[in-house]
Amino acid sequence: MFEAVHAHPDGAATVARHAKTAAEYGFDGIVVRNHGDALAEFDAEEVADRYDVDVVEGVEVRADDPSRASGFVGNHRDSRTVVAVHGGTDAINRFAVEQPAVDVLAHPMAGDGDVNHVIANAAAENGVRFEFSFRRVLRADGGQRVQAIRGLRKLRELVEDADAPYVVSAGPRSHLHLRAPRDLVAVGETLGFTAEQVETGLAEWGRIVERNRRIQGDSFVEPGVYRASVDDEE
Amino acid sequence: MKHLPKHLQPRWRYLAVELEGWPDASFGRGTFQRDLWFAAQNLVGDTGSAEVDLSVLRFAFEDGAGHAIVRARRGETDRARAVLACLDAVDGDEVGVRVRGVSGTVRACEEKYIRSPPEPTDQRNVVFENAERRAVARDGRIDVRTDDAFVGATELDL
Repeated sequence: MFEAVHAHPDGAATVARHAKTAAEYGFDGIVVRNHGDALAEFDAEEVADRYDVDVVEGVEVRADDPSRASGFVGNHRDSRTVVAVHGGTDAINRFAVEQPAVDVLAHPMAGDGDVNHVIANAAAENGVRFEFSFRRVLRADGGQRVQAIRGLRKLRELVEDADAPYVVSAGPRSHLHLRAPRDLVAVGETLGFTAEQVETGLAEWGRIVERNRRIQGDSFVEPGVYRASVDDEE
Repeated sequence: MKHLPKHLQPRWRYLAVELEGWPDASFGRGTFQRDLWFAAQNLVGDTGSAEVDLSVLRFAFEDGAGHAIVRARRGETDRARAVLACLDAVDGDEVGVRVRGVSGTVRACEEKYIRSPPEPTDQRNVVFENAERRAVARDGRIDVRTDDAFVGATELDL
């Protein structure tokens, strides 16, 4: 299971500190999804070796309008394993689900954002994952939290109906915001998710990483076609 | 009042909880208990709070690290976990919370899951992002004091 974190300078803990804590909490890896204007500098391999946890370079593209977002996605797609889009407005949500190059539409229900059956079906078709962000459930209270829980429920109903892919995250911005997988499952259950849904959502980050590494690897030519050396035939 | 016969006594489970905070975080058992009850009420309501019936039995927290043993009704440990996960701050100090394990007795819980005592902290000057800063170190974790807040780092970042 993976968690997707915002590291310093986009958050209050460095990549290494997130990795150390995530390893202790039982995660298999972290995806560093800093916003495009606050990228972290780190040596993923060094951190991964030290704390025995996978460290993945990602990005969360944040832009006000779809055309700029599209440019940012293009800039980051080749160099980063996971590309997410900072959702939360109708225009950006619609843009993200129509782009197969986007891996994850982050927190689509935040702010003024909304999702309907058309968006959910487009996401299912293009393989763009919706993020169920537990961030405001864990860290807000009162009306904001009620709104967040209502949003999660609506999104869950649409995702189930369209059979759209999804990820789950606590949206941590420091090591103190991280929560262990089992604790997130317990939170999910109080919100009406099944344990399997939360586990699938946490594991989905890992599947994105595995798939994109394969595609970005040297041996990939096109779906179903790989370059292999002749010696392998024996 | 005379205590209940054994088969009518409530059955409890004990959750070993690991706490982490910034080095300047400071709160006591009473505050932790109060904020835990608020968290329960906010997440599962009055009826849920009564069913889970959380109380803090052991508590230690100093210099941004500590642990607690929290008692919950048997069969309600998942909801107790959820409430603990939603505890984001105690007395205004941000905390990281993790349930290390669940046991049927306080003693088993302490022996199995609580590492005691926490390692002592060590104050030192470090160079972080090309600037000299004060920092608090413990067990490879280093909290660097920047102009307005702390940044969580490790020895790899220096």
